[in-house]
Amino acid sequence: MSVSEHRVSLLAQSAADRAKVLVSMATGDRIFSTVTRVCAYGVLLLLAGIMLSLVIGAWPAIQAFGLEFLVTRRWAPQLDEPVLGALAPIYGTLLTSFIAMIIAVPFGLGVAIFLTELCPIPLRRPIRVAIELLAGVPSIIYGMWGFFVLGPFLAQHVEPAIVWAVQDIPVLNTIFGAEVISNISLFNASLILAIMILPFITAIAVDVFGTVPPVLKESAYGIGCTTWEVVKNVVIPFTRVGLVGGIMLALGRALGETMAVTFIIGNSFQIDGSIFSPGTTISAAIASEFAESSDVHRAALMYLGLLLFILTFIVLAAARLMLARLDKRAGA
Amino acid sequence: MTEKISVRNLKFFYGATLALKGISIPLYANKVTAFIGPSGCGKSTLLRVLNRMYDLYPGQRAEGEVIFDGKNILEPGQDLNLLRARVGMVFQKPTPFPMTIYENIAFGLKLYENLSKSELDGRVEDALKRAALWTEVKDKLGANGLSLSGGQQQRLCIARTVAIRPEVILFDEPCSALDPISTAKIEELIDELKHDYTIAIVTHNMQQAARVSERTAFMYLGELIEFGETSKIFTAPSDPRTQDYITGRFG
Repeated sequence: MSVSEHRVSLLAQSAADRAKVLVSMATGDRIFSTVTRVCAYGVLLLLAGIMLSLVIGAWPAIQAFGLEFLVTRRWAPQLDEPVLGALAPIYGTLLTSFIAMIIAVPFGLGVAIFLTELCPIPLRRPIRVAIELLAGVPSIIYGMWGFFVLGPFLAQHVEPAIVWAVQDIPVLNTIFGAEVISNISLFNASLILAIMILPFITAIAVDVFGTVPPVLKESAYGIGCTTWEVVKNVVIPFTRVGLVGGIMLALGRALGETMAVTFIIGNSFQIDGSIFSPGTTISAAIASEFAESSDVHRAALMYLGLLLFILTFIVLAAARLMLARLDKRAGA
Repeated sequence: MTEKISVRNLKFFYGATLALKGISIPLYANKVTAFIGPSGCGKSTLLRVLNRMYDLYPGQRAEGEVIFDGKNILEPGQDLNLLRARVGMVFQKPTPFPMTIYENIAFGLKLYENLSKSELDGRVEDALKRAALWTEVKDKLGANGLSLSGGQQQRLCIARTVAIRPEVILFDEPCSALDPISTAKIEELIDELKHDYTIAIVTHNMQQAARVSERTAFMYLGELIEFGETSKIFTAPSDPRTQDYITGRFG
């Protein structure tokens, strides 16, 4: 074999090798893309499956009460012909989450702004770690602490003063009114919820604030902005998508939080307009009654679960819509 | 010629690292002073001392004197926000704020002045005209500043800086991210602006320094090697290192 012939055969061989490698790589690629696709579709399937099984479980109650379930205040599963309505748990869920957000969002953003813009470096780590630890506390602990420590404290030292202060002011004396002040109330549950979601809001806000390019902040300082003006006009607008995402995540957690709330909300199906009264939430109602329920009662609890699912979905959709409108206003 | 800013024996530290080793240099009123030198020579650092931008970062500090209209701005107790409103800065990369084109300019104005809507409109238009951007954006003032091209964004940033009527404008490599046409526009603009402002520009582009400036400073490793009239620096530099740098032998 001459040298050139030898080289040709070598080339042919390496081309064949390369083809083989390419084939095996193509196979790997195909497998990889199939696996990722299965995972992605799996999530959709899972979601649909949960939805479907909730509907099936709730079906007897849907048939019995229909949409009137949503506006019925009474919850009387012990009757021979049970009367069951979701209004009280829906009210409690929305109210506690709303109050929790009112408290936790400004507080959490404040902490995040302090940590990223103002905090002396040596203090930064301890505060961050403390916030992460707060996120790691199991919810049952929050529930017990709320029941045994925070609730009694508020009932003895804080809430009576508020009730007294607003007793002659219309509307406010309903919202903050109470015959008996106890350690279980919608407000106490809200406060515990606020503490529980605070670390979420702070952690996400700190992360997204970190994505603001320093030079963008510098240029705002460069036209004479104070720290507050930089935060308000540059940092928050720049990060609003991430912030809203984080806040919605926290809201999702608040809406669905079960254990701590069940401990301190009182599990009472009443609506009297006062935040110092006991109440219930969807998840608290399910958790406290599911074990000893049967038939229509159990189906009604499944129905409640379905409503929570839909509620959370609506919240997420509303958040998306809000973001889209914000973008439009900013001219993007 | 009046010295708008006089830098005297300025030392600058990043933590323990000495980045400026005792710089003294004047910035003359209504002139363009160019700072050239290889990366890391301290020219951007010097610029960031002039509006005390370094103050945002712990561990950075300056020693010496920077006299601005008779007052040493390095002394404690300065109103930094006011100082930065008087000493504007344009950065290497365009940094439009996340808001509309109109708001990008009106925002800075509203911080320090109480203007009526029509005055505000007038000032925004004036600033955009001065930055040679008006004709391109006058029909879309409500669009987001980020929707403009890179060159337009940079002119928007210049308009934003000019709008608040500073006394000094610092340009930190304002054209390094731009195409030649945008660069030419910005150079024309700088030529235009020097009638009203004192200008300092950091650039890696030797031709740019030669085109836009009256005075040029060559810096190397934290020291000011040579400072003088631009024509002299580029035709007959006295220091061999300046000669080497401008002819492209190092840097």
